[in-house]
Amino acid sequence: MQWRTIYRKEMLEYWRNFSWIWVPIVFIILAIMDPITSYYLPIIIDNVGGLPEGASVEIPEVNPTDALMMSLSEFSMFGVLVIIFITMGLIAGERKSGVAELILVKPVHYATYISSKWAAKLTLVLTSYIIGLFASWYYVNLLFGNIAFSALVQTIGFYGLWFVLVLTITVFFSCLFKSSGVVLGSTIGTLLLMFSIYNIFSHVLTWFPNSLSSHIREMLQTGSVPNALWGTSFITVGSSLILLIVAYVIFQKKEVA
Amino acid sequence: MFNVKHLTKTFGNSPVVNDISFTLEPGNCVALLGANGAGKTTTLRMLAGLLKPSNGSIELEGMKPNADRREHIGYLPQYPVFHSWMTGKEFLVYVGQLANLTKANALDRADYFLERVGIPEAKNQRIGKYSGGMKQRLGIAQAMIHQPTMIMLDEPVSSLDPIGRREVLTLMEELKQQTTILFSTHILSDAEEISDGLLLMHQGKIVESGSLHELRNKHQTAKINLSFHELNQNYVDILKGLPGIADCFIEREELVCIVEDTEQARDELLNIVTTNQYPLTKFEVSRTSLEDLFMKVVKQ
Repeated sequence: MQWRTIYRKEMLEYWRNFSWIWVPIVFIILAIMDPITSYYLPIIIDNVGGLPEGASVEIPEVNPTDALMMSLSEFSMFGVLVIIFITMGLIAGERKSGVAELILVKPVHYATYISSKWAAKLTLVLTSYIIGLFASWYYVNLLFGNIAFSALVQTIGFYGLWFVLVLTITVFFSCLFKSSGVVLGSTIGTLLLMFSIYNIFSHVLTWFPNSLSSHIREMLQTGSVPNALWGTSFITVGSSLILLIVAYVIFQKKEVA
Repeated sequence: MFNVKHLTKTFGNSPVVNDISFTLEPGNCVALLGANGAGKTTTLRMLAGLLKPSNGSIELEGMKPNADRREHIGYLPQYPVFHSWMTGKEFLVYVGQLANLTKANALDRADYFLERVGIPEAKNQRIGKYSGGMKQRLGIAQAMIHQPTMIMLDEPVSSLDPIGRREVLTLMEELKQQTTILFSTHILSDAEEISDGLLLMHQGKIVESGSLHELRNKHQTAKINLSFHELNQNYVDILKGLPGIADCFIEREELVCIVEDTEQARDELLNIVTTNQYPLTKFEVSRTSLEDLFMKVVKQ
């Protein structure tokens, strides 16, 4: 009951501040930018010219899987940043402004407060991301060749878990700190650390959350879900849940004021 | 109904609230009076459940000590902040539902309380456009929305202009009939105007408490105020020694004598003034007020 009240209020807020408009648009642009520009690259080069006489540019053939992966690689950079930016103030902002005082003085369980806000933001992010990937799929089919709908759905499902984790890390720090800047810094720091760890130990850490996209590529190429992808998904979802619970435990012990 | 025992809150090493105990009776309006920094806000926040006490217990009648009391309490912070993109009514319905009201019930009560606090015409306006007084009133409405057994208001009138403060004081006077009120203030006249009881706080301790009537009786002593054309420091020493006079000091260009026996002191004073031909301009027999008590405590 209270959970739905907060969830609905967040949804209303996203309408009022136009998040429901601009976040999907940003994700659509991120998703289609790379496939489209690489398709038209030869034409662009031809028209712009400027290449010395006799120079020939070999542009490697882009297959549909590569094209779809381009969208994911934009998401993993700018998509993640967008998520962090729109999520960092989720809890921290309300605590800093003082609204949280009026909310938490009502008999609201802290777990309800955190999880409903988390779920609302996740709804916004995942919806935008799915719309974005559908747009990408449309152009990939049009320009590069066919990717099966079922493969798209699998991609959406598995890669979405990475966004769940990124969002949860941001919410986690948003529960810990009052300042959005500190939340931003800590989240990016954490992601960079994960990225470095994965880069160094990728040969042993086959189930590490960062390996999601390489497993997805394999899935798209072979047409079957590799075992490591299930493992990675399990780890990603598990660590998100644990982070959310730890965030609640810490938040509950903290003084709200 | 509210039973507070040995409540203490320490930030770092310094106790902001230092071992205070008191009880509140239902239906009373009690003022928590003290200078800025006395620990009033910290006390209220602990009672509201926003801060955890370092020590001591808070017990609401019928509940375990330190249990979750939020359902039975309404709280208005000193500077309430709302979602400015919501309308006043939306916000009330939102917090009403958070206090476990059904949607229909919350809608009804939102309308009722917007009317009650006097801002029904602004109910569909964004809160961002509200004036300070309107926000304060919306704040009182959100504290009342779930009809708690008591409401706590932190400096409800301090930030308002004279008209706004008059309106809010009148509103509190009315609400007193419905619920128990505990409010903090640093202004004695506000406390005297609407409260039945007083908790006087200073440096984290409750230094005096009781009903206004009791406190007045207890702390009123007779005094004689004298003004002179030219006030001479020597007068203090001379007058201090007279029979019937307990103490003598200068306050705001006036010589104040605390007296034990009014008649004797009056005669003695007048006698010495005439014999020595002091340039007396005013002679007044009066009683010390709560203001004097407040100042005495705060100055210590």
